[in-house]
Amino acid sequence: MRETVRILHLVPSTLGQNGETGNVMVLTRRAELHGLAVEVLQQEAGDEFPFDIDLVYIGSGPVSAQIVAQPAILEVASDLRQLADEGVPFLAIAAGFQLLGESVTMADGSVLEGAGVFPVTTTVGGVRVVGDFVVESRLGTLVGFENRGSVVEIGAATPVGTVTYGQGNTVESGVEGYWVGNLVGTHLHGPVLANNPGLADWLLSVALERRGVVYPTDAVPELEEIDRYAAEARRVIAAGPLSE
Amino acid sequence: MTLRITAAVLVGRAVRVAARLRGGGSAIPGKIAMTIAPNFLEETISRIPQGVVAVSGSNGKSTTTNMLAAVLRAHGLVVFTNPSGGNLPQGIASAVLSEVSLSGRLNADIAVLEIDEGYGIGLTTLLKPRTVLLLNIQIDQLNRFHEPERVVNMLRGVAGAATRNLILNRDDNHLVDLDTKIPASAARSVTFFGADPALIEGAAHGVASAQRFGDSRIAAGSRLAAVTVSSLGPSSAVLSTAEASFPVRLPSRGLHYALDAAGATAAARAVLGQAFDTSLVTTALEGLATVYGRGELLTIGDESVEIIMMKNPASLQLNLDALETAPEQVFLAVDEGTPDPSWIYDIDLSALDHVDLITGSKANQFAVRLRYAGIPVGGVDLDIRNAVKKFLALPKPSRGRKTMILNYEQMMLIRNSLGFKDLEGGAK
Repeated sequence: MRETVRILHLVPSTLGQNGETGNVMVLTRRAELHGLAVEVLQQEAGDEFPFDIDLVYIGSGPVSAQIVAQPAILEVASDLRQLADEGVPFLAIAAGFQLLGESVTMADGSVLEGAGVFPVTTTVGGVRVVGDFVVESRLGTLVGFENRGSVVEIGAATPVGTVTYGQGNTVESGVEGYWVGNLVGTHLHGPVLANNPGLADWLLSVALERRGVVYPTDAVPELEEIDRYAAEARRVIAAGPLSE
Repeated sequence: MTLRITAAVLVGRAVRVAARLRGGGSAIPGKIAMTIAPNFLEETISRIPQGVVAVSGSNGKSTTTNMLAAVLRAHGLVVFTNPSGGNLPQGIASAVLSEVSLSGRLNADIAVLEIDEGYGIGLTTLLKPRTVLLLNIQIDQLNRFHEPERVVNMLRGVAGAATRNLILNRDDNHLVDLDTKIPASAARSVTFFGADPALIEGAAHGVASAQRFGDSRIAAGSRLAAVTVSSLGPSSAVLSTAEASFPVRLPSRGLHYALDAAGATAAARAVLGQAFDTSLVTTALEGLATVYGRGELLTIGDESVEIIMMKNPASLQLNLDALETAPEQVFLAVDEGTPDPSWIYDIDLSALDHVDLITGSKANQFAVRLRYAGIPVGGVDLDIRNAVKKFLALPKPSRGRKTMILNYEQMMLIRNSLGFKDLEGGAK
């Protein structure tokens, strides 16, 4: 019997801008090419919260979309926190990462309450940072694109990694994102899993491990070809990163 | 002041000659003229008797400006316009330099100017357009604009600058009610253009309008349009007004080009009033050359090479949607002009069944995307010149046409390297 990986995709209708849905596609294709079945459940406002989830994903979008998405996220905040407590891996990108945090303080001073999955707070404002983004993580070099108009405070928590090009969580921190246990939040765009398949494989392996299933590591020619291109993409960006 | 303008014209022209010899750099002469005479644009363009028509939006500015200029010319007007892509202040100044007299006079009845969204408010403040035509707001250059809402705000400012006519696309999520979001003016009339709802529904990805979140709104398409696309052929369309229906030729396949034609027609109708004649629209668009890089066919040796420009997600998606069959030989080139190509994951690439060769610094990112979509990739070569050479050396395709999908910067570079050395838009 084929193992099925169940991915919960939060509010794709609002936080689906700029290719971020590509992360779900990358997870799906990689799992499928390894012989696993994948089911993607989309969670929108008013939907009943599904159980038996292996991986949670939330993408990004403009501030206007973030405001629209917030009530839908708050509806299921306690369910999401429960999944996180149970060790379900999360990947949360930019505006979605912020909404899964404690709060987002808008440019006008108003505060959006977050779902409290990630113990981080966001403040919109500061200098806009736009450009290539290179981060040294425990999985090696992660590359992507940074397009950030806010700062994220993670306190003493472990970040995704150290920034070697770009800004990161705050002007001074020198680090990017949040990575504690199985919770990953980041402003790496690209989408992040396209450029960094190692992170996709890590998420899938953690998701399966919780069910006592080992993520296959057998060689799949199609994935090897994709990963060669992705490795080249990382090399090109890391060798000559640019910003606006 | 006139002396300063004269100096600007003389120096600017000398620089222009030098730039042309090198085969590029169309904005530099204008930049220098504006340094010498900071009011160079106002002094020259504001003297044009029938004023300025400003054309802006995410996609189709060059094509529509070209169409509108042709339609007005067919009606007997002498038109001053900026060549494709020269839509920043310095680009417009460069266009002025090619036609202005030493005293700063332009021999024109009316100006039709393509205006960059980001410079729109500044330019319209200077140029005080009588007519503003806004085409669409699509996801575009998020690295530069950050969020589509910022573009909406910019174009709101541009729309509010129109003193007599405002022409809007009713099928755009943000433009459908933009007239209600700007200060009202009794002297300004507002008209809409659009397409028959069945045509939009029938298009694989509609009109690729940026999603709108939050504020109360009316649905795209729900305004009465003065000019509509009523039917669409392979490279032609029928446009309809309340009085007449008439055929128009399009530069290439696609509903987006038909909408550009409808927008140009609606603007011409507003500008010309009683003098507007639909048969002259047909004549004007029949004889129109393609704005280069926009569905353009280049002849190289005994082969034709179709250039598809991908400026942003909407332009790539709509151009792919317009393909009749999967192109036989495909070349892709993307460089730092597209700093964040994340959006390729929002694109339905199923119109392609393979890509032969990819080049440019973003080539590997495109290869990853294509391979995840199950589309075979022949290879990546980061050496652009070498890659072009390899692609052109492929045996002539059975249908006689090679296809190059290029971002703007690569389009300019490759066009130039193939010996098409005219300045942007073929400026004289």
